[in-house]
Amino acid sequence: MTATPSQEYRRVHHETATTLHKGLDARVNSFVGRYHRRAKVLQELQAEAERIDSQAKRWSEMSDQQLSEHLREFRMQFRRGGKEAKQSIGEALAAIREVSDRKVGLRPFPTQLAGALALHRGFLAEMATGEGKTLVAGLAAVLAGWTRRPCHIITVNDYLVRRDEEWIKPIYQFCGVSVGYVTGDMKPAERRKEYGFDVTYTTSKEALADFLRDRLQMGAMVNPTRQLLRTMLSPQNSVTDGLVMRGLDTAIVDEADSILIDEAVTPLIISAPRQNEELREASVIANEIVSELEPGIDYESDTRYRETRLTTAGIEKLQKRCESYSGLWRGQDRRIDLIRQALMAREFFVNGKQYVLQNGRVVIVDEFTGRPMPQRSWRQGLHQAVEAKEGLTLTDPAETIARLSFQRYFRLYRRLSGMTGTAREASEEFWQIYKLPVVRIPTNKPCIRQQWPDQIFADEATKFEVIAQDVERLHQTGRPILIGTRNVTTSERVASLLDQRGLSYHLLNATRLQEEANIIARAGEKNQITIATNMAGRGTDIKLGTGMAEIGGLHVIATERHESGRVDRQLFGRSGRQGDPGSAQAFVSLEDELLRRYLNSILLKQTAAMLRGHFPAWQAATKTAFGIAQRNAQQIAYKQRTAVLKMDSWLDEALSFAGAPIA
Amino acid sequence: MAETPQTFSESWYRIANQQIALRQGINVRRQNFRGERWIILENPFSNQFFRLTPAAYEFVARLRRDRTVAEIWKECMERFPDIAPGQEQVIQLLSQLYYANLLQYSDAADSAQLFERYQRMKQRETQSRWLNIMFMRFPLLDPDIFLNKTIGFVGKLINPIGALIWAMVVGWALKLAFDNWSMLKAQSEGVLAPQNLPLLYLGLVFVKSLHEFGHAYFCKKYGGEVHVMGVLIMIFTPTPYVDATSSWSFRSRKQRILVGAAGMIVELFVAAIAMMVWANSSRGVVHNLCYNIVFVASVSTVLFNLNPLLRFDGYYILSDLLDIPNLSQRSTRHLRHLFERYIFGIRKSESPSNSNSEKAWFTVFGISSGIYRVFVFGRILLFVADRLLLIGIIMAVVCAISWICVPVVKYVKYLASDPILDRHRVRAVAITAGLAAVLIVLLDVIPFPRHFRASGVVEAKVYSHEVNGAAGFMSRLVALPGSQVKAGDTLAVFSNPELELELAASKANRTETQARLLQAMGHETANIKPLSSKLDSVEKRISRINVELASLTLRARQNGFWVAPSIEEGLGRWFAKGTSMGLIVDPGSFEFVATVLQDDVDQLFANTNSLAQVRIIGQADTALSASNFRKIPAETRKLPSPALGWTGGGDIPVAKQDSQGQHAAEPFFQVRADIQSTGDVALLHGRTGKVRFDLEPEPLFTRGIRKMRQLLQKRYQI
Repeated sequence: MTATPSQEYRRVHHETATTLHKGLDARVNSFVGRYHRRAKVLQELQAEAERIDSQAKRWSEMSDQQLSEHLREFRMQFRRGGKEAKQSIGEALAAIREVSDRKVGLRPFPTQLAGALALHRGFLAEMATGEGKTLVAGLAAVLAGWTRRPCHIITVNDYLVRRDEEWIKPIYQFCGVSVGYVTGDMKPAERRKEYGFDVTYTTSKEALADFLRDRLQMGAMVNPTRQLLRTMLSPQNSVTDGLVMRGLDTAIVDEADSILIDEAVTPLIISAPRQNEELREASVIANEIVSELEPGIDYESDTRYRETRLTTAGIEKLQKRCESYSGLWRGQDRRIDLIRQALMAREFFVNGKQYVLQNGRVVIVDEFTGRPMPQRSWRQGLHQAVEAKEGLTLTDPAETIARLSFQRYFRLYRRLSGMTGTAREASEEFWQIYKLPVVRIPTNKPCIRQQWPDQIFADEATKFEVIAQDVERLHQTGRPILIGTRNVTTSERVASLLDQRGLSYHLLNATRLQEEANIIARAGEKNQITIATNMAGRGTDIKLGTGMAEIGGLHVIATERHESGRVDRQLFGRSGRQGDPGSAQAFVSLEDELLRRYLNSILLKQTAAMLRGHFPAWQAATKTAFGIAQRNAQQIAYKQRTAVLKMDSWLDEALSFAGAPIA
Repeated sequence: MAETPQTFSESWYRIANQQIALRQGINVRRQNFRGERWIILENPFSNQFFRLTPAAYEFVARLRRDRTVAEIWKECMERFPDIAPGQEQVIQLLSQLYYANLLQYSDAADSAQLFERYQRMKQRETQSRWLNIMFMRFPLLDPDIFLNKTIGFVGKLINPIGALIWAMVVGWALKLAFDNWSMLKAQSEGVLAPQNLPLLYLGLVFVKSLHEFGHAYFCKKYGGEVHVMGVLIMIFTPTPYVDATSSWSFRSRKQRILVGAAGMIVELFVAAIAMMVWANSSRGVVHNLCYNIVFVASVSTVLFNLNPLLRFDGYYILSDLLDIPNLSQRSTRHLRHLFERYIFGIRKSESPSNSNSEKAWFTVFGISSGIYRVFVFGRILLFVADRLLLIGIIMAVVCAISWICVPVVKYVKYLASDPILDRHRVRAVAITAGLAAVLIVLLDVIPFPRHFRASGVVEAKVYSHEVNGAAGFMSRLVALPGSQVKAGDTLAVFSNPELELELAASKANRTETQARLLQAMGHETANIKPLSSKLDSVEKRISRINVELASLTLRARQNGFWVAPSIEEGLGRWFAKGTSMGLIVDPGSFEFVATVLQDDVDQLFANTNSLAQVRIIGQADTALSASNFRKIPAETRKLPSPALGWTGGGDIPVAKQDSQGQHAAEPFFQVRADIQSTGDVALLHGRTGKVRFDLEPEPLFTRGIRKMRQLLQKRYQI
């Protein structure tokens, strides 16, 4: 199939991401964002959804034949675009809704219609867990698919990609939209085929990696006009033949807060291992030297900012120690840098927390999902430093070939929209960085989940003890319990406590995605105890087993507060879906990492004193302390994210002699 | 410990395979600064400079179009492991070279970025030009061709013999100036008079043009390039300028200094010749023009060019003498560092200095140039505003923006978002808020003791002018001036022979009239009436004369000291009736008459319980307390004593038309207060002194605002 010139052009073209607003501009822009998020937006969406709902009868009386003829008509309209297409959105959605009812047996609620409209108009729709976001994305994607412009539906993992595509496929097929999916195990030829479909389900990682590889293939020919001219003038030299993507146009991002915010700054790196004997040697020596340094005397470390600093004594010691070495060790800056990295590895990288050892290799653990990421590695030198610390054979450092952060990548889509359960805390950031106004779609049925007050403890040991007691007590009633932890270590700690009490449970730890989803899906059944890191099994609903609603539904226990209130809400939101009953409670202690890292030590001491002395209002005080810590954590994280973006823009400008940046 | 740059960079891949090199035609020179070696890269097309450490240059020098950056980096690491830059430093370095337009690279550069950068640069240029309203530069033409044609001849003058001639001419002119010092000084008063301004400006343009050509020729002579000549609008006065910055890359420090000083060398030479012409010409246009040239060349040279605290020639010369390039920017950075390090406690903050002596220079220069700049610009503002109010106001607004608003905004931005403050932000904000609070409290809340001074004169409270009651020659002094007298004591005796003759005549007349009256009683009764009235009038005259005769003896009217400074000179002299011969002063009670100017008077009148101290001139060490104020609520212009006015050596301006020197230029109010004499201070009538009124304390800010308003009101009638 030969592409039309416009398709050929779009293959290479992407939006030029606007530079971030600064200073007063940012203030003004913030007001513009607030205008876009005003209450009236939701009212209009809801009114329109009601109107679509009222057409239901007309469509349900049609035969399949008639319906599909109408849909073909819509498809042609949307392909042509313009005013006509805009006017028929309501009708089209009503028709697709009917298709959904007939083909997958789900009849979208008016709230879901409102969500689909929001996605179509480029909003970030906040929809609670269990409100059927997958279907909402499907409705919006049909509209986008009809235009034949590439539409990517981005989810968090391969399992969801496959599941969602399979689930919604009948709707697409009936509507005349071709659909495919891309997962990590696919070969380029397959990918090209799948991206060739109107709508493609994929993960953010795959999409970005494919984009980067395409860009690498294009080389210097990233200007769409030049590219098009070249392809037209000498088709045999065209570089676009090897590209797997059709370009970037529409993206619908599921779990948008985790993809667009939490994980947004981790750059995706395409790299190749390159031999570097010197670095290997240096890492071994650095590890040796570091083991001789004493904390507090030779160096100081700062847990809050994850930094170490050599003292003057340390520098002197280092100098003496290095006299016999050559190469990198001869330069003062060089050796301090090497030692610093080794210190980082020693102080801040803990086996079981940041990484695990598998088959004699260091495997990075994703702090969010608790999942090992065998293909990931830390930056040059650091990875080797950790390996040296563990006494492993050192791997060759990976040399970067191309690199782009998710944040920058998603800014390149022409039409970006997304869905998530928790967005409003970050609505400012969504607007400033992605120009995404957040609209909060209410739940179809009111949420009746009970939020039990936080339990506060002075130390961690008591906290976990009480958690275990609580679990045992609730378990006797037969209610299903979900225990959300921050990382793998905590999961295991809780597990061993439950073991002592002879309770059986499911531990979600870095196993296969499919299994994970199955466990999570069954977590709502009778007598189930499930321990999961907070992001595990995202995207899968916990449906209550029969009879569970009567005895109170799912109970969620948070073993800690997270850096962001959003993550807390996500965890709590796993119970009480679709109007089901449920309850949630958080257990916190003053020894939690959140407070240790993000609360001023004086404040922390004051809070602890109040807690121990049971001062009046100590509960309010601790609550405030946690609030402050979360705000600090959010601020630091936001700063880091914008700093990454700024740094990238600076590099683009400062190194523009090295050719246009990859995106 | 400072932040060490990372050896490996995550962004390395972006430049690792680039094949870049330094642009062709870049001049590379070595320079030593304070014993350290630096490499200077000069781009002759843009006159941009770039300073590199030798280690960085080792890397840069190896850049070639047929090798990749990664290869070169590796080679450097192998050959100079101890000094070679890390990957992060290389990225920094290359980006800086790129910004300085010193790199040559493949044509696939991101042209969109290039244009964006160019636009931003232009924008910044325009912005800084308008913010720097006192010194705006407009480049106009390239004087290269002209200079090339003339350098052959002019260049020959730049040598030791030329220097000798220069020294002789300037020396001779100095001698002339010395000889004619008083005339020079006298003429300087009229130099800023409106009628002289065109001539002054002509002289300025002439001298400054030659000055600039001086720079240009010296620069050319030592191998530099001069390609830009234009107009510098200095305080709304267009003057020429040339761009001789290519001299910065000269290896020889002496040559750099000479180029910097060249302008002044030429200027002084021209001034010397003008001085000779001036000294040997009589009044006329040429004479005046020469005077203006001398004035411009000397005053502007000292005030601006030679002064290192402003960024003119002197600054560059000093910078070369100290061997510290970029002195000004680096001192600012150093001051900032001091602030960050010692006030905000940021240990990461790094000083731009390389040695302790540099640190000292940065501190001294930074502070003094800051103060001086504010002072000079403040004076310029007032000066301009005096003449051209509207422009003065515009300038003041622009200056307020660029010196107050911009720095404050920048500082707030720095506080809010500078990464260096990341861990110290709370402290920094707290300290800033604290300082601001202290400042506000200091200025706006805490009342400071307040006082003002007024000059005045001591007057005896009770005194009488002794006036002679009749005209006459002073024949005898009875009481010596300065002696104590009692009421009724004879002070002096006058004689008036005419009066005695008149008395005799009148007496004769009386006798005659009496005789005629007797006669009339007998014969002509009709004449009795007129004769008796005539007798009456004669009697009256006699008694009047007698009174006058008695008045010829001057008697004290009250007890006290007889003060008559020059009465002895009057012996034998004729005094008309009613002449004041002296004063009798009561030594027991004196009062001080102060002249309070309008600006202060309202506060004095508002402050009911103000205290005051009087210090008599000549005996300022003892303060006399004054009490019982009597504020006379009416303005006057007549000074109580001419000694208070300018002409009398006092400090109150007097009206120019008044030859007596007793008529103040500005109306004032009189305040009288009783003063008590202490043993040490002899209170004498007419002694001048200063009174210090202590007013109720008031915060400084309120006071400053009032002073400012008064200044505006007085100067500009706003």
